[in-house]
Amino acid sequence: MTEVEGNREKGEGGGLELLRGAEAIGLAALMSGVEAYFGYPITPSSEIMEFMASEQGDPRFPRYRAFVQASSEVEAVNMLMGAGAVGHLAMTATSGPGLSLMAEGISYSVGTELPFLIVDVNRGGPGLGNVEPEQSDYAFVTRSLGHGGSRAIVLAPQGVEEAMEHVNRGFRLAFEYRIPVVILTDAIIVHMRETIRIPAIEEVRPRELEWTARGRIGGARHLLTSMYLEPHEMRSHKEALMNKWRRIETEVRDFECIMCDDADTLLIAYGVAARKARGAVADRRKRGMRLGLFRPVTLNPFPWEELESAAEGREVVVVEMSEGQLYEDVSARLGPLVKSIAVPGGEIVDVEEALA
Amino acid sequence: MEAVRISSIRQGMPTPYCPGCEHGILLKLIARALEELGLAERAVMVGSVGCSSLAYEFLDVDYVQAPHGRAPALMTAIKLLEPNLTVFSVQGDGDAGGIGIGELISAANRGVPITVLMYDNMVFGMTGGQMSPTTPMGMTTTTTPRGRGRGAEGPPVDICDVLSSLEGPAYLRRVIIAPKPIKRGENLSYSFKPVMDSYRAILSAFRAQMKGGFSFVEFMGTCNVNWKMTVDDAKVYTHEVVSKVRPPRLCRDRLGVDT
Ligand SMILES: Cc1ncc(C[n+]2csc(CCOP(=O)(O)OP(=O)(O)O)c2C)c(N)n1
Ligand code: SF4
Ligand SMILES: [Mg+2]
Repeated sequence: MTEVEGNREKGEGGGLELLRGAEAIGLAALMSGVEAYFGYPITPSSEIMEFMASEQGDPRFPRYRAFVQASSEVEAVNMLMGAGAVGHLAMTATSGPGLSLMAEGISYSVGTELPFLIVDVNRGGPGLGNVEPEQSDYAFVTRSLGHGGSRAIVLAPQGVEEAMEHVNRGFRLAFEYRIPVVILTDAIIVHMRETIRIPAIEEVRPRELEWTARGRIGGARHLLTSMYLEPHEMRSHKEALMNKWRRIETEVRDFECIMCDDADTLLIAYGVAARKARGAVADRRKRGMRLGLFRPVTLNPFPWEELESAAEGREVVVVEMSEGQLYEDVSARLGPLVKSIAVPGGEIVDVEEALA
Repeated sequence: MEAVRISSIRQGMPTPYCPGCEHGILLKLIARALEELGLAERAVMVGSVGCSSLAYEFLDVDYVQAPHGRAPALMTAIKLLEPNLTVFSVQGDGDAGGIGIGELISAANRGVPITVLMYDNMVFGMTGGQMSPTTPMGMTTTTTPRGRGRGAEGPPVDICDVLSSLEGPAYLRRVIIAPKPIKRGENLSYSFKPVMDSYRAILSAFRAQMKGGFSFVEFMGTCNVNWKMTVDDAKVYTHEVVSKVRPPRLCRDRLGVDT
């Protein structure tokens, strides 16, 4: 068991703590009431798994009672399905190649409506790529995570503190909507030590678990499946899933607009790129230049309507650490005048330099 | 077995199985065993992909559909989080022994108390009779048109042997589930002893789980449609040919549950 207390150095302001991203994410999961961790090591996500391994038996978190190092990400995601099917909070952390292997299980879980949380620590790709902080899983996680029109909720924290809040929010959303939730992070967020204020984390205690497969005791059996052999049944199942997604779109999407009101130019960025963009905004404002930042906090559903109204009449620049995946989406929506600062490969985007 | 109404079988379901297939027998035996042991109300079946994916149509127990071959992974999580549930899968030889062999080996090696029931018809039945990991040498299938062994397919895998090499499992057994044809002159009748043996194996497998062990039973059954044989010939072939290369066998009984 890791003494979390001992690893923390009290910050100046009181209530501030110096936490490493991986440990903060694990701690947020434990505070949320996570019951199981199933994973397979892959850089740069492994520290989350190692932290969760060390937390087994921590008396402060009695709900946490199952940890398995799976034989692959395929096995891990199927363990998440099992946990979801009996209504327990379970999570994993992985990175690109591992997420690819999980896609089938995620699709089954979207079809079967099983809740769990995946932290994707984006690395460079395609293929084995590298272990540097790219944002190149964006298209994969937002457009269709798995076959057959499968979509999951995707949250994109910009730092350690928000990652903790997203873990908590992720579990709540997973159970509220019975859907897998992905938190898209990168090596910077997970490896960074940051002085943060521990956000308010409410323990997640799923109610309404009547649907779970824990025996038919005294009633009708529970059937959890994504198989609908008759076309009309498949169609009505998909309509139900689409209606649920429309509800998610209105209720879940989230964003932040920084210095947008009087901006001539609007940067659009999420995650770590948004932090760099934020720095550029502050810097330029000091020099009297009117720069703003629109930061989607949820990538799926994406706050498109809010972006459209924020972007109206402004020059728009998409900033990202990929080959331009977010730019493709934004320019499809806002038109061909949108500009792109896209840095793939794992180098941290230098927004100042790119704007100069 | 006396004719009793098995309440964990859903009544009035038309069978989707081909005539002469033992899938239906297996499901009935499972239902009966769960009831005999008083486990049916607190049981969860995890499904496979293949002909056994239709098991939920008949067995009136809680059910979770797994991706092809991954049932043991789901079962592991379910059992760890809900240890009072009886957790079992009904899988095919392709599902458990091919695409899902990794999940099967991992679960068996961890010794998690769950039960894997594998219907081994030595082909991919549902997809039209392709070779499976357990297809015997020489057998023709749609993907081994000249017989297994003429191409790069290698010899069949004995799943019981594979699992026997691990320390984790508590109970490993292979039985023949196909009723045994007995020729009396021109007439053919059947001995149902194999069915009773199968029933006892299921009881033992569930008992192993109740005692905290991992259990696995391989049921040698027929797929007359894809073997391109008559119902009777398929059963004769199982008892006279298959039984030589894949004989009924108790491979492991660490908890002394076999009856
Ligand atoms: C990932 C994946 N690959 C392939 C398939 C297609 N498929 C369905 S059933 C099956 C073979 C099943 O064979 P077996 O497990 O022996 O079951 P049987 O039908 O013989 O009982 C295959 C390949 C699938 N559903 N999913
Ligand atoms: S295809 Fe074979 S295994 Fe499937 S139902 Fe028909 S006979 Fe049985
Ligand atoms: Mg088969």
